[in-house]
Amino acid sequence: MSSTFVDSAADFDVRDYLRMDMMPHFLCPGCGHGIALRALLWAMHELGIAKDQLAVVSGIGCAGRLSAYIDANTFHVTHGRPLAYATGLALARPDLHVVVITGDGDCLAIGGNHLIHACRRNLKLTCLMLNNEIYGMTGGQVSPTTSETMLTSTTPLGNSEPSFDACALAAAAGAGFVGREVTRHVPRLKELIKAGLAHPGFAFVEVLSDCTEIFGRKNDLGSSPEMMLRQKSDIRPSAYRDSVDTPFRANELPTGILAQTNRPEYGAAYRRAAAAQRASAAAQAGSANAKEDS
Amino acid sequence: MSGPSASSSSLEAKPLRPAASAAKAREPLNVLIVGVGGQGVIMVSKALAWLAQSKGYEVKQSEVHGMAKRGGTVFSHVRFGPQVWSPTIPKGEADILVALEWAEGLRWLPYLKPGSGIFICDTKRIVPPFACLNRQPGARLRYSRETPAEVKAHVAEGYAIDATQMAAELGNERAANVVLIGALSTALDFPAEDWEKALSSFVPKKTIQVNLDAFRLGRSWIADARRGATAAEQAPLAPMPERSDAPYSVRLEITPQWCKSCDICVKLCPERCLRLNAERVAELAQPEKCTGCRLCELLCPDFAIRVHLDRPVVDATAAQGARL
Amino acid sequence: MNAVDKALLPRLALRLISGNHACALAAVAAGCRFFAGYPITPSSEIAERLSRLLPEVDGVFVQMEDEIASIAAVIGASMGGVKALTATSGPGFSLKQENIGYAAGAEIPCVIVNVMRGGPSTGMPTRPAQGDIMQSRWGSHGDYPIIVLAPASVREIYSETLRAFDLAETCRTPVVLLYDQVIAQLTETVELVAAEGIRAERKWASGAREAYQPYASDGGAIPAMSRPGAGYRVHTTGLNHAENGFPTQDPETVARNLGRLLGKFEHHRDAIDSWQAIGCEDAEVVIVAIGISARAATRAIELARAGGLRLGLFRPITLWPFPEDALRAAAKHARAVLVPEMNAGQLSLEVERILGSKRVHAIHRYNGEPITPAEIAARAAAVLKEKAT
Repeated sequence: MSSTFVDSAADFDVRDYLRMDMMPHFLCPGCGHGIALRALLWAMHELGIAKDQLAVVSGIGCAGRLSAYIDANTFHVTHGRPLAYATGLALARPDLHVVVITGDGDCLAIGGNHLIHACRRNLKLTCLMLNNEIYGMTGGQVSPTTSETMLTSTTPLGNSEPSFDACALAAAAGAGFVGREVTRHVPRLKELIKAGLAHPGFAFVEVLSDCTEIFGRKNDLGSSPEMMLRQKSDIRPSAYRDSVDTPFRANELPTGILAQTNRPEYGAAYRRAAAAQRASAAAQAGSANAKEDS
Repeated sequence: MSGPSASSSSLEAKPLRPAASAAKAREPLNVLIVGVGGQGVIMVSKALAWLAQSKGYEVKQSEVHGMAKRGGTVFSHVRFGPQVWSPTIPKGEADILVALEWAEGLRWLPYLKPGSGIFICDTKRIVPPFACLNRQPGARLRYSRETPAEVKAHVAEGYAIDATQMAAELGNERAANVVLIGALSTALDFPAEDWEKALSSFVPKKTIQVNLDAFRLGRSWIADARRGATAAEQAPLAPMPERSDAPYSVRLEITPQWCKSCDICVKLCPERCLRLNAERVAELAQPEKCTGCRLCELLCPDFAIRVHLDRPVVDATAAQGARL
Repeated sequence: MNAVDKALLPRLALRLISGNHACALAAVAAGCRFFAGYPITPSSEIAERLSRLLPEVDGVFVQMEDEIASIAAVIGASMGGVKALTATSGPGFSLKQENIGYAAGAEIPCVIVNVMRGGPSTGMPTRPAQGDIMQSRWGSHGDYPIIVLAPASVREIYSETLRAFDLAETCRTPVVLLYDQVIAQLTETVELVAAEGIRAERKWASGAREAYQPYASDGGAIPAMSRPGAGYRVHTTGLNHAENGFPTQDPETVARNLGRLLGKFEHHRDAIDSWQAIGCEDAEVVIVAIGISARAATRAIELARAGGLRLGLFRPITLWPFPEDALRAAAKHARAVLVPEMNAGQLSLEVERILGSKRVHAIHRYNGEPITPAEIAARAAAVLKEKAT
């Protein structure tokens, strides 16, 4: 009897979902965004979403560049606007899974208006916000999620603005699904994104991702593994410990699904109302014709 | 097999230190009972505590078992005397250490009173998860390798009993803890009849007889042991069985061109089996330690690592051909 | 005639409607099935009309949170393969510019209506102006091609809206419909014709994925787009990109691809160019004007000719790319050229550029009051007199 060795490695190979000729990607060594990308693709794989049915819309910045590496329908759009582009795409093509990849600056600063209205509108979209507390691509300027006292290129005296709790913001604006996870816990992050992708309405997922090369270096946070290990216990030295308390940031950092509601999804509700209107118009036209005939 | 009376007589000939009467006179007597979840550590301590209380001592018992699921470590401190303040036994203050599992016994040895402490330990070996420092499939376990003779040389008075085997021969392996109670009873001066009364009220009715037998066996074993070393103490421990069920072998596929030397895989690998080579590219330095846990693959921000778990499979067609 | 047209037919007879209303009807007739907008005077009627019309034809109307979101959603819908429209006015048009540049660079078809009002800034929301002639061409940063159509009547708003969608799809480009507040809110009796079926359709990619290049340089042909879900899985970016759609900074590749982009209308000028020339053959003075100013000029021609002064009108309907050869031909024999426009001098700059040898006169008006036919006729007469002396 002969026996052979077969590779029965786990079902998911991230390379099946990457544009291999684009690799290696451009991210700095130790950047958490790559890990977040893996979690997204893994979640997609487990949900059985075909690459052809996935549309990824991303903005500008380090996070925005990720879409180029995904073997799907990918749209790298203007700064701050991926949610608005995705709104048009998802309304026009309800058959597609539309995922937005955005960063903290892209989503909360220049694109903040789109975020709160996307949350309010509750269109079926999954918004993955990679929060590294900094504008990395432009050289490390302060962002809306930079923790207080942290040093950046534009806060040489230490940041004195309180940061956004993005999840609290999204929940307050009415997002049907709000979750947060760190890149260190890849399976948990994958499960969270999966739940977000499966949610029928707007899903906001904040991923706490490390910027080692710029944010870490400026603030003496150590090597990539050290920053990553810190996520487990203390997240970051001052992250989410700002002077302003919010529902999801009372000097601790809740992760997982933080809010979930079953509000009606916008696109489906719109189409239902339109179909009802067409039906009633057709019925009226029918009865009018019948009158003319008699 | 000698009866309880025979054992008591031998004890009278040379009483074990320290006697319960001594405790009554001065300091509390400290008995530490340890083992792993499911062995009956708590039952032993309860029987002892109940008995001590019935003799008019103040008793304090403190235990940890809630967090210790089956297979995890369990310990119980029993202190009794004219007056007991603290419920726990400080390091180096246990008069008697009763261990239901060999490695647990060794772990708690520092609690034993140097120079006078009595160590009573089952040679039963239950491999706890944390003994698997190396989780490589098929790897040897790092279970303690000290022989009973080696351990005995380090304590004032030590007894290594294969209580589990003795209980099994009596018909119920689970009565091993009562064999150890029998052994423990020889170190205290409570009458054997009171021990038996206490035991009868603590064990399920159906098992009273086998437990009484186990108690008596434990007492007599100590009597024999005190007469001369038993075979068990002399014999080296049998080698730990290999984990023969090696279900897969692990292979790391590293794409060196994608690695950016961030060091995450090296520092976060639970086995520390990766390293950056001279070119600062991740490589598997100690493949024998790799367990295939995939953490390096999942945490690599550059997708440079792929973990393959290779399983041997029977070639179905060949097998069929052979049958035909 | 398809079902949609049939449904619309009752609305397409002789009707008394406004320019904005005509735009909405034409959009639906052209196959537009997505509108995203933000309220702004004087274009809001288009949004209001389409909020009722689009659900009737299984389209989607959405009022977005701001002007930028509106153009972004429109481009997003178009990337999904649906013809899409947004409508705005000056301030909103300014806000949309970055994303109009994106649509031009990534070659995403879409139609943007800009109803011109007074400016700068908030300006005069209810008064007409023609101040966005240059912005409509050069408003976004960098070099890019764009088509701008400038209808001058309600009837023409209808036909040019149809054409705007056709050109957007066949040329893979944003198309701006540029008209002023007067025509937008002017109600005229117009005879509307149903579109002949759905007109131009987007050229979709076919064939093997490996062979497909979203920005292929194939003679002068406009590269085919791929529909998400059809298996091509391409990347679309606002970064300078190679033929395969992926970003590049290779100077040769950038020059080649940007060069193709900038020249891509040249092979399609027959379809793109559109103008009206009235009486230019024997005109002593050729007036160049668009929109409401061109309407005034038409009347001025009659007035002047009655008085013995031969005026002609050259009216670019396709404003950008400017039909320069046609202008040169129209103005060939004219002794003078007059550009009446409701701004401080925009169209006149382009006319000067094209007609380098000719003296270009202009009427520049920016007080919210349209230029009257009498003013144009008088100025034309004065121009000739100036010339004579």
